[in-house]
Amino acid sequence: MASSDIELMAHLMRRAGFGATYEELEQYAANGYEATVDELLSPMEQPDLEMDLLERYFIDWKEMNALEVNQAYLTYRMINTKRPLQEKMTLFWHGIFCVGNSKCEHGGQIQHQLDMFRELGMGNFPKLLLALSVDPAMVFYLDNCMSHKDAINENFGRELLELFAMGVGMDGHANYTEEDVKECARAFTGWTIANAIPRYPYGRHPSQFAFNAADHDYGEKTFQGETGNFNGEDIIDIIVKQPSAARFIARHLYNFFVADEPQIPAWQETPPRDMAAIKEMEDAYFESDYNLTAMLRVLFKSEWFKNARFEKVKSPAETVAGTMRLVKDFTSPKPGLHPIAMEIRYMGQDLMNPPTVEGWHTGQEWIDSGTLVERINFTADQIGNVNLPGVKAIIERFSSEGINQAGALVDRCLDMLGAYSLPDETRNYLVEHLGKTGELKPGSESYGGQIAQTLQLIVATQEYQFA
Amino acid sequence: MTTQALSVSLQYSHSIGRGEFSGPGFRNPVAMARGADDTMYVVNRSYEYRPDGKRVTICTIDEEYIGEFARGVSTAGVTDIVSEDGSLIWPTCVALDQDGNAYIADEWLNRISIFTKDGEWIGKWGTEGSGDGEISRPSGMVFDADNNLLMVDSQNNRIQKFTKDGKFISAFGSQGSGDGEFNLPWGIDTDIDGNIYVADWRNDRIQKFSKDGKFLMKFGTSGSAPSELNRPTDVAVDRSGMIYVADWGNERMQMFDPTGGFVTLTTGDGTISKWGKDKLDANDAMWKEREIAQGLERERDFWGPVAVTVDDEDRVFVVESCRNRIQVYRRQEPIFVGGGRL
Repeated sequence: MASSDIELMAHLMRRAGFGATYEELEQYAANGYEATVDELLSPMEQPDLEMDLLERYFIDWKEMNALEVNQAYLTYRMINTKRPLQEKMTLFWHGIFCVGNSKCEHGGQIQHQLDMFRELGMGNFPKLLLALSVDPAMVFYLDNCMSHKDAINENFGRELLELFAMGVGMDGHANYTEEDVKECARAFTGWTIANAIPRYPYGRHPSQFAFNAADHDYGEKTFQGETGNFNGEDIIDIIVKQPSAARFIARHLYNFFVADEPQIPAWQETPPRDMAAIKEMEDAYFESDYNLTAMLRVLFKSEWFKNARFEKVKSPAETVAGTMRLVKDFTSPKPGLHPIAMEIRYMGQDLMNPPTVEGWHTGQEWIDSGTLVERINFTADQIGNVNLPGVKAIIERFSSEGINQAGALVDRCLDMLGAYSLPDETRNYLVEHLGKTGELKPGSESYGGQIAQTLQLIVATQEYQFA
Repeated sequence: MTTQALSVSLQYSHSIGRGEFSGPGFRNPVAMARGADDTMYVVNRSYEYRPDGKRVTICTIDEEYIGEFARGVSTAGVTDIVSEDGSLIWPTCVALDQDGNAYIADEWLNRISIFTKDGEWIGKWGTEGSGDGEISRPSGMVFDADNNLLMVDSQNNRIQKFTKDGKFISAFGSQGSGDGEFNLPWGIDTDIDGNIYVADWRNDRIQKFSKDGKFLMKFGTSGSAPSELNRPTDVAVDRSGMIYVADWGNERMQMFDPTGGFVTLTTGDGTISKWGKDKLDANDAMWKEREIAQGLERERDFWGPVAVTVDDEDRVFVVESCRNRIQVYRRQEPIFVGGGRL
């Protein structure tokens, strides 16, 4: 069985990244937990992907103007990034600050937004909110370009409060009023975009944010009990100092990294699973002047995080990227990436195209009879392919370790997949089944197939669907 | 009396193309070659997920659509990729032999596919590897005066010369950054004396060799100032020895004199092509959208200038992978060449 250090490291890398191979876990464990967390929290100290090489072979990545092209790129990043927490936080914000290609029809513009999350998503929260408010994809998606000083459109103003920064309510009370929504929308009037160059005949160009002073409501507004001639920036400054903002971000981080929470609409009436944990992150938020890395540091170094093993259902993105990292495929450009990226869609997470502004419902809602079959089939296909480098490495490792007992082989397979454990009944079944496949002879022709089949059976278990 | 050397310059002529997965237009074009009678062969790499857009388009410089040949094959699923004769996965370049046959390189299949000038498949060759005559990611090709094929064997960091049937003749170059060494080279061309020019892509420079592979000169350093290069993808040389470089990372095309001295550069002057106008005319709403669009001037600029070709009339063609367009320039002489008036 894996050591407790490896088990903890496997937990950390599943949550703060997209999983890791056993060899990588051994290296991380040798470095130590604290040092590994510090490394994850400093992504810019790690090299980025070599975009010149990628754009040479994936020639469409220089343009990145179709949804599917961008989805392939995002998938490749998740598989190969040396900055896993940065990529995870990009996914985190993408699930909260939703824009969808179904309305924007401009994959490249959404890609620019994700680049912004990559740059700012672990920094200062008001700076991130401000960048979001001038992001052309968001301005268009939530109709702020249709909000005028004489006829406000509340869409962005409302979602900024409800879904992006405060939440409807907490501890049984509302966080804002309908009047706050209107005043917020007024403050953002004139924050618009320029008319875009049409797609035909030479393709899309990046859209441009524009402030239209003539369409901005410069009048006095009262928002969250404060009165002044507020503009959007002022509103953000007021939002971020509210206890509700701290609660909102803390609870989202907990839901994303620690353990599945109820869906967001229930947050007003349903208290957090672990109020003490939330409070620690809220304190870090205020003490650091709204710094997101400070909150993440508290989270990943806490005992409540370390103890929250297998408390989350893997998202489709985590499932696919994690599987590909294990089997070590697509570590360099080659044809056939698109179908891998599409698996994320088929499992219910059409990246860059969430179902609504509320994003994807997570946790157990990732699983239904269709998506479960999809994820098990995909994972089993990959992990059962003895020609893939990561699977080959597992087989070679077991051969050199001379594993020839069914029980030991099942346990070692569980280690390789990320230090999983199974209920006795399930484990015994796997051991029994493996015993029926014949003698285990390390290095023999049949040995690899026996290992691959065991790996496939494990990834089909209920336990493996959890992170 | 003082003398002043006047420099040649570039004059924009027109644009060719529009974005299409089939028919008149291109999709992520990566290379072109000039054929007889104003024809041109354009290699379309297309989106990874749209193999139907991978093809070679035959058209004229005046945008008369002639046809297309070769198709991409699906790379879906985890099964091994099977590619039929004449199909494409990662096409990189096209070279025309003295009979006008088109040789298309595929850097995934490590295969050269041969088609007649009308697009009929007539053969293939290519074996993956690093030994003499074996290839790894062919990325640029040109026929020399002897009708032999010079190929940038990019991942082997060398230039190989083959007969048109694929028989190995010679090779030069190795991995590195010294004279005569390469770091993932991409495009290639020859001048009228048979000298060889290579876009030494990851070394951000152009190297010149004699026809037998002897290093002659280099120019270019990493950067974005005029004369500096950022991942140059292709090089072309006109009859007077002027050198044109697709400065891909800097989104521009630069012109150098025969000694490698900087002459001028352009970041693009694109205008609506005939095919582009046809597209817009087919839907009047698109014209109206353009009328209200902000920053339409951005459309003039190169985006992904991946290849450059010069023909016997000194017309310079810049292929833009992201704009699905080719911008055509003419070299302008600073001295009286006849045909004009005082």
